[in-house]
Amino acid sequence: MLDQPRIMRLAHEMAQHAAFRQGIVAQNMANADTPGYRARDVAAFRAGLGEVADPMRQTRRTHLGPMQGTNTPEILFVAGIEASPNGNTVLLETEMVRAAAARSQHDRALSVYKAALDMMRTALGRGR
Amino acid sequence: MSGLLQAMGISASGMQAQTERLRHVSENIANVDTPGYRRKIVSFEEIVSGGERTGKVRTGPVELGRGELSRIYDPAHPLANAAGYHDGSNVDLVVEIADAREAQRSYEANLKLFEQARQMSRSVLELLRR
Repeated sequence: MLDQPRIMRLAHEMAQHAAFRQGIVAQNMANADTPGYRARDVAAFRAGLGEVADPMRQTRRTHLGPMQGTNTPEILFVAGIEASPNGNTVLLETEMVRAAAARSQHDRALSVYKAALDMMRTALGRGR
Repeated sequence: MSGLLQAMGISASGMQAQTERLRHVSENIANVDTPGYRRKIVSFEEIVSGGERTGKVRTGPVELGRGELSRIYDPAHPLANAAGYHDGSNVDLVVEIADAREAQRSYEANLKLFEQARQMSRSVLELLRR
């Protein structure tokens, strides 16, 4: 099987990150009226989060395999927001902004992926 | 893709919880003239399954409003006491309408996110076309 080109893998990770962030925003929004709930956000996307810089080589089948980096981004609590009287720190407006950011990141990642796909198609001689 | 599906599930749980809240608000409004009726209040809580938070939300146990019941003067009423008063409900229509508004606003926000997650997953599928 062909090794996936790096740019496509990158786009894949970026889209995955955007989808994860969308999930976190959905959580905040669903819990916008839950007493004591603290709003969460995701650490910004960083390329190669799932890779380990210098992976261990497995020289024997019974040995430990190469370390797998975790692919889930870090979840942070949103700080600096005054809680409402019931202890909730979700602001619908900022959540909407985050949702829009996640959406545009997702769209960007998919466009990159699509462009890479088109390039491969062109290389195969099928045109666009 | 599974992340987006999860996001849709969470938004749906939010909408469900808000619907439940709106149901109790309409119950309160319908009973505004019921003697001795206490307004019902629902609060929300995060769903935790197996010690892990799922991010979904649900309505907690229903509580009764502790506000004082209104006193209505109507000597002809069968429930009226010697002084001619009987208990009304402790429902405040203004509060209920405000609550309904808030529920609607939250519902719409959840719906919007649901729609967005759906569009995102559709644009992923769009890649497979052509």
